Amino acid sequence: MNLQNLSIKGKLMLITMLTSSAALVLSSASFLIYDLISFRHLLTLDLMSQAQIIGYNSAAAMAFRDEAAATATLSALTAKEDIVSAVLYTPDGKIFAHYYPNGTPHPPTLPILSQGTGYRFEGGYLEVFRDVLLNGEHVGTLFLQSDQRQWSVRARRYSAIVGFFVFISALFALLVSSQLQRLISRPILQLENTMRMVSANKNYEVRATRFYSDEIGRLIDGFNTMLSEIQHRDTALQRANDELKTRTRELEGEIIHRKQTQEELLKAKHAAEDASRAKSAFLANMSHELRTPLNAIIGYSEMLEEETRESGKLENQQDLRKIQSAGKHLLSLINDVLDLSKIEAGKMGLHLENVEVGPMVEEMVTTLQPAIAKNANNVRVRIADDVGVMRADATKVRQILFNLMSNACKFTDHGTISLDVSQSTMEGQEWIRFRVKDTGIGISPKQQEKLFREFSQADATISRKYGGTGLGLAISYRFVQMMKGRIGVESHPGQGSTFTVYLPVQVTSEMVEAAQLDGANASSAGSAQNKTELDTILVVDDDPAVRDLMSRFLTKLGFHVVAAANGEEGLRLAREVAPAVITLDVMMPECDGWETLRRFKNDTALSQIPVIMVTVVDNEAMALDLGASNYLIKPVDRDRLAVLIEKHRVPRHPTSAESNSSSRPKEEQRPVEFEVSRRT
Amino acid sequence: MMPKILLIEDNEMNRDMLSRRLQRRGYRVLTAQDGEQGHVLARSENPDLILMDISLPAMDGWELTRRLKASENTKHIPIIVLTAHALVTDRAKAFEAGCDDYDTKPIEFERLSEKIESLLAEKKLS
Repeated sequence: MNLQNLSIKGKLMLITMLTSSAALVLSSASFLIYDLISFRHLLTLDLMSQAQIIGYNSAAAMAFRDEAAATATLSALTAKEDIVSAVLYTPDGKIFAHYYPNGTPHPPTLPILSQGTGYRFEGGYLEVFRDVLLNGEHVGTLFLQSDQRQWSVRARRYSAIVGFFVFISALFALLVSSQLQRLISRPILQLENTMRMVSANKNYEVRATRFYSDEIGRLIDGFNTMLSEIQHRDTALQRANDELKTRTRELEGEIIHRKQTQEELLKAKHAAEDASRAKSAFLANMSHELRTPLNAIIGYSEMLEEETRESGKLENQQDLRKIQSAGKHLLSLINDVLDLSKIEAGKMGLHLENVEVGPMVEEMVTTLQPAIAKNANNVRVRIADDVGVMRADATKVRQILFNLMSNACKFTDHGTISLDVSQSTMEGQEWIRFRVKDTGIGISPKQQEKLFREFSQADATISRKYGGTGLGLAISYRFVQMMKGRIGVESHPGQGSTFTVYLPVQVTSEMVEAAQLDGANASSAGSAQNKTELDTILVVDDDPAVRDLMSRFLTKLGFHVVAAANGEEGLRLAREVAPAVITLDVMMPECDGWETLRRFKNDTALSQIPVIMVTVVDNEAMALDLGASNYLIKPVDRDRLAVLIEKHRVPRHPTSAESNSSSRPKEEQRPVEFEVSRRT
Repeated sequence: MMPKILLIEDNEMNRDMLSRRLQRRGYRVLTAQDGEQGHVLARSENPDLILMDISLPAMDGWELTRRLKASENTKHIPIIVLTAHALVTDRAKAFEAGCDDYDTKPIEFERLSEKIESLLAEKKLS
């Protein structure tokens, strides 16, 4: 067993015993050594005095060569047990007499006389030499040899006693140390025990017992302080832990509660959306139900008006016109409601096309004439030089402007209404700005807040006085939003109002395709109104009936139509008239539609002109591959044709030669500042 | 002889008003008040053009159009549908069903008569 790993008890006992035993052994040994040295010295002196006596007694016998007397003298040594040899030498070194108690000299060979008087230790024996003198004359030498038996007996006895006492004292030391080590080991063992208990049971409430106020006592104090500190922290930790658990439970509860609330909110939201959809559907249905009788009212009054006109009853004619105009007003209100419900039901899409801003504005102002005339207002329109073509939903732009302008007319009496159109760049985008300014009654800040909301005419009295649904601005607002534009108002009561609309020059929408089919009104009416400028359409078809039909239809839409009977003629005419769009029949003798299309697209002068293929077979991929802009399947859906021509026709810049047609007399006067004077 | 127009409309006032206005333009007008009756008259009378409301009792306008366009005897007759729903789906559906033209109520009589004349001219040519 390694000493270092001995228990503290063992170590303490071992230390005590080793220390005490070592001290005892060392002191006993020094005492023993001293005693044995001095005892041997005594023995030597004794032997030397013996030799002196015997030498004296045997001197005479030596002198007279009396061997017997000498031997007798030597024999007196029998009393001395430790003498093993006694020899008398003659001066010449021969043995004269001897005494051997054991019969034989020990050692067998006697030592050579080396000196006169003296002693030496030789081979474990003490040897003494003594000159025998008679009257001062040297007569021989005495040699005594002792085996120091007394000394060795003494040494053995002493050693035994020392050993015995060392053993006894060791036993005693063991006894004492085993008692005294507890002074140190007990508190340590107890401390250790406490520590084990703490670590095993995690019980920080136990304390180590302090026995004495020595270092160990202080150690135990420190340990106990540490324990109580740990206990304190443990309690705090436990408390924090408990608190955390409680908090977690609370939070979980909160989360569950919130989830429930969220679900409820979601349900409520869905319910609200459903309700909103239901409302929109209801409005759509209602407006449909309203339209049917209105149809009869307007129809009958128109019919009656015709009849009365023919029969000359002029007084009735006025009343019938009132019925008609009231019916049409009612219809516009219903249309507003329908528009709004379509927007809300998400059924309103954008029908994007290239629109010439100038002509569109002018035309809109023309349709506004009755409203302008009503309150005797002046209208000034200014269109900036750089305003050209914009890509937008023309119907909606027109409706927005019409709303703003007719509002301005409605709320201004004998005043001036100005419309400024300009183009600018903001945030890296091109915008068209329409600014409608009037000198009318104005709008208070409070009224401005809810101006663009549905059914919120600025004042309840207004609807009574001025009429209207209060939906115009809400619809305009939604339309502007749909085209990602902005609308704003600046006004002070009594000082007139300024409405400003910003629309992107290039309105984009992901819903274009869907929007193209939106509403018959939007496309046919919209495109019909937009044909102020005579774009030329080239119709290439070998069938004269088709050529005739297409010409009639397109002319009705306001286009100038040129027709060609075959591809060759088509190419020639295209170079001559530079049409806005070409429609091309696929099935033609000689040079067929595909071949003609290829030649159009290979001619640098003609390649930019959009070509719409007219075909009986659905071969869209081939048409688009060869560079056609679109395709139509026979029999031709005229509305779709109108939409496609509108979509693809090359926008003309107002300054280009062809656009100066007779229908646009104001073209050269740009920037236009024309006044629409009052009619009444 | 003036062209013969078959007007199918369930609303009595609208039927009366439209037929009278068409007659004033000189057309001969036959009327039917539901899809079934319209179907029978279209087959027996061979009109030059059919003007029909889309929401009809007995057989609706879609179904009637499909049937007329599916039959060899009647598929040449141009059909104009009238609807009070100015919604996207109706218009697409009308052309899908095979209608030749489409208009919305309330009727703008001038616009409608232009469409009628255009279809009649087309028919004469083909």
